[in-house]
Amino acid sequence: MRKIILAMLLVSMALVAMGAQKLVINSYMSDPEPKRVFDELVGQFRELYPDYDVTVNTFSHEDFKVLLRTWLTASNPPDVVTWFAGERMRYFASRDLLEPIGDIFENGFEADFPKAFASASSYGDKIYFVPQSWYWWGVYYRKSTFEKLGISVPVTWKQFLDVCETLKSNGIIPITIGTKYLWTAAGVFDYFNMRVNGIEYALKLTNGEIPYTDEGMKNVFAYWRQLVDKKYFLDNATSYTWQEAANFLFTGEAAMYLMGQFIKDVAPESVKEDLDFFRFPVIDGNIGLYEDTPIDGFMMPANARNKEAGKTFLKFIASTEAQAYFASELGRLAANKHVPAPDAHAQKGLDMILASDGVMQFYDRDTDPEMANAGMNGFVEFMTFPNRIETILRNLEAERNRIYK
Amino acid sequence: MKKILFYLFATLLVVVWLMPFVISAFTSLKSMDELMLERKWWSPPKEIRLENYSTAWNNANMGRYFLNTFIITIPSVLGTLFLSSLGAFALAWYDFKFSKVVLMVFVGGMLIPFQMLLIPVYRLSISMGVYDSYLGVILFHVAFQLGFCTFFLRNFMKTIPASIFDAAMIDGAGHFMIYRRIVLPLVIPAMAALGILEFTWIWNDYLWALILIQSDRFKPVTLGLVNLQGQWITSWNVMASGSIIAAVVPLVVFLLFQRYFIEGLTVGSVKG
Amino acid sequence: MKGKKWVPWAFLALPLTMYSIWVIYPVGRTLFLSFTNWDGVSRTMRFVGLENFKELFNDPYFITSLVNNFKWLIGFALICVPAGLGVALLLDQKFRGNKVYKTLIYLPMTLSFVVIGQIWSWILEPRSGALNSFLALFGIKGISWLSDPSIVTYSLIMAASWRQISYAMVLYLAGLKGVPQELVEAATVDGAGSWKRFWNVVLPMLRPATVVAVTVSIIDSLRAFDIVYVLTRGGPFYSSSVMANYMYIKAFNNYRMGYGSSIATIQFLITLGFIVFYMRNVLKREAERE
Repeated sequence: MRKIILAMLLVSMALVAMGAQKLVINSYMSDPEPKRVFDELVGQFRELYPDYDVTVNTFSHEDFKVLLRTWLTASNPPDVVTWFAGERMRYFASRDLLEPIGDIFENGFEADFPKAFASASSYGDKIYFVPQSWYWWGVYYRKSTFEKLGISVPVTWKQFLDVCETLKSNGIIPITIGTKYLWTAAGVFDYFNMRVNGIEYALKLTNGEIPYTDEGMKNVFAYWRQLVDKKYFLDNATSYTWQEAANFLFTGEAAMYLMGQFIKDVAPESVKEDLDFFRFPVIDGNIGLYEDTPIDGFMMPANARNKEAGKTFLKFIASTEAQAYFASELGRLAANKHVPAPDAHAQKGLDMILASDGVMQFYDRDTDPEMANAGMNGFVEFMTFPNRIETILRNLEAERNRIYK
Repeated sequence: MKKILFYLFATLLVVVWLMPFVISAFTSLKSMDELMLERKWWSPPKEIRLENYSTAWNNANMGRYFLNTFIITIPSVLGTLFLSSLGAFALAWYDFKFSKVVLMVFVGGMLIPFQMLLIPVYRLSISMGVYDSYLGVILFHVAFQLGFCTFFLRNFMKTIPASIFDAAMIDGAGHFMIYRRIVLPLVIPAMAALGILEFTWIWNDYLWALILIQSDRFKPVTLGLVNLQGQWITSWNVMASGSIIAAVVPLVVFLLFQRYFIEGLTVGSVKG
Repeated sequence: MKGKKWVPWAFLALPLTMYSIWVIYPVGRTLFLSFTNWDGVSRTMRFVGLENFKELFNDPYFITSLVNNFKWLIGFALICVPAGLGVALLLDQKFRGNKVYKTLIYLPMTLSFVVIGQIWSWILEPRSGALNSFLALFGIKGISWLSDPSIVTYSLIMAASWRQISYAMVLYLAGLKGVPQELVEAATVDGAGSWKRFWNVVLPMLRPATVVAVTVSIIDSLRAFDIVYVLTRGGPFYSSSVMANYMYIKAFNNYRMGYGSSIATIQFLITLGFIVFYMRNVLKREAERE
């Protein structure tokens, strides 16, 4: 045993003596394609900066969320970590656990990144987050099913209801959804909220400023209820993860899924080309068009040992070239505004967003985590027992008072 | 006739019992497309995709992870078996003032759900300088399993009649000699069972490896497998094949040691 | 049994020391944290006394979790342990291939919980899962195993029992080694007196195994986490939650480590209560026999 410890000591001393500047990056990009592309990007970085000794550690998504908390408070955390913009990032920033990295943007954040992303990347007036890619949400549907039944893409709420009815009467599940991990229901909520009440209301809600028992909230659920009562959603949605529910869309048993763009990543080859999306229907013509656009990127723990190396990397990853590479390899949208959309599908998404009046992160990325959890459980409960909505809202309101007091 | 009935019943039991395993095996042989499009999890694969196994081995870096898991598991099992047998011996045979308290301390440590210990253990391993190393995980597993193992072995040791111990003491044997030459051999079935359980448990551990290891080069198989769970998608077929490959080892260990359950070695000769 | 006083402590020195550092200290720290409002990440925390506990007992989700744990306890202790014994007895008979059977029944233990969870979620899938497809052959309509709040906990217990029974079987197979074969055979034959023989002769000889099996069942049922977390996360809306699951969500997802620790403390105390009660019984009987 002693020999092993001695050996380890010698090895670590040797590493330190070698003098290479270390850089540790921890990432949650464990899907095979993103991991490959990210590894390639890091390879490019190594070529540009051969003096850096770069290590990338990859973790599964769920594990990463747990581990990040332990790393941020440790004395020797990784230097750069992947994460999400919005409240999820601000939670740490507000507790002095993140390093402000605004200085990597030579000409300022907005020279290269959309203004709309600025608030999601900052806390107070400092920038803590480097956006890398983002995606939109829309109602994904099977083109062939729509064609066969002579359905045209709905734009208004009434048209949407008609589409659902047509589908259902032809034995097809109108909307599939998997709420086992809750966030899919939050997506549905976000859209109803944005369409019925508009984005300022939605932002205030995520800030804890609006009571859950407010009239506006009741309206949201009144509209949602129209879908639930007519059983337009998949039965037993709580048994399925989002991916398992997507199966129904792929087999053709279901026709629509309100989901993010990554659903195409998962679709079998035979189905990919048959998938398209449309904007969530307009409910109130007076309210602007708002969308959910979650942003992924990087940040730096405050305790990081190699801040200079980390910032060099962040600068690299924010560059137009690096962002373009990542986006084109994966068909994603780069946060850097100089990078064009990689393919027609992405272009359509980008156009939809550009034509919108505003964007939000996502209910559970923008609200206090505990409130988000309570809220999402409430949404799922509502979908199973719509009659309980009054009680649910009252309980959520009690939570809000306790959390935001 | 009775034999046939037993045979039938046992077979039925085993078939039902193995259904989940069979499903896992089928899944490991299917293509991702088939998994997504046909949702009959329990039907045999339409096309057999043996490459899932090679994908699991190569892409999930299984070779390296396997080695790591061995490096972690074997010393941990040996260490905990040895140390817990010492403690169990003391608790089973010696009537001393705090023996009941010590027993409860060992049992008490087993009661808390592991998740709550994550952060204190993480901090501890950093301050002891063993974070992100084989040593850290091994030390932790040895210590953590002591609770259950000491309790388990103490129980089995208690069934050994006192007369043996007394006879040996009269013969002038030293305490450690009694432990080594007399008591230990008598609890071999129990140690074998315990060893199998511990091996399987530590081999399949994922939570502690997650907390105590950061670098890829130390990761055991369980962490490697979970990395097949992407942010959005999970390659269930590759994961199933990886899991089956990983499950082979505890199974082989069981096969190697099960003769201590199944064949003639008994404590019975003492009871005679 | 006699001898110098320090002898047992010499044997205990190393194990007890390691245990104290790696287990007792973290447990102590967790108990301490339950009196704070620490969120798990901040550098500071505030001492809040019994506030967490007060909140706990008014928290309907915690109460649901607690009740569910008791359901698990009954399932594990009263169903899995006897079933494990039954399977062990059955397979310990002399018939060809019983080694193979024993090995096969052991298989569930070789799989990690993540895999077990995933497989069972497929078995229990409402539309085309194995179980519902099988029941459909008898004309029984699709049961929502994991979506129906009133049965979801039982579904989870069923999934967990698959492994727990194998566990109990292994324990009893070891225990049966100490029981002469003829006794076992005689007790499993049909006929008058065999049940009595079993109860009065064989079962007491299996005491060490039973003690471990029951203790483990108590602890594992009150500490259940993996199956719940993997299959439902405690859903739908906490109807299947157990204390460890709720505690994890509160501590790690909701950033309330202090509150989560208080749940762990309560769970620890409850389990301790059961164990102390059971062990006192066991220790008393041991003393009587000596």
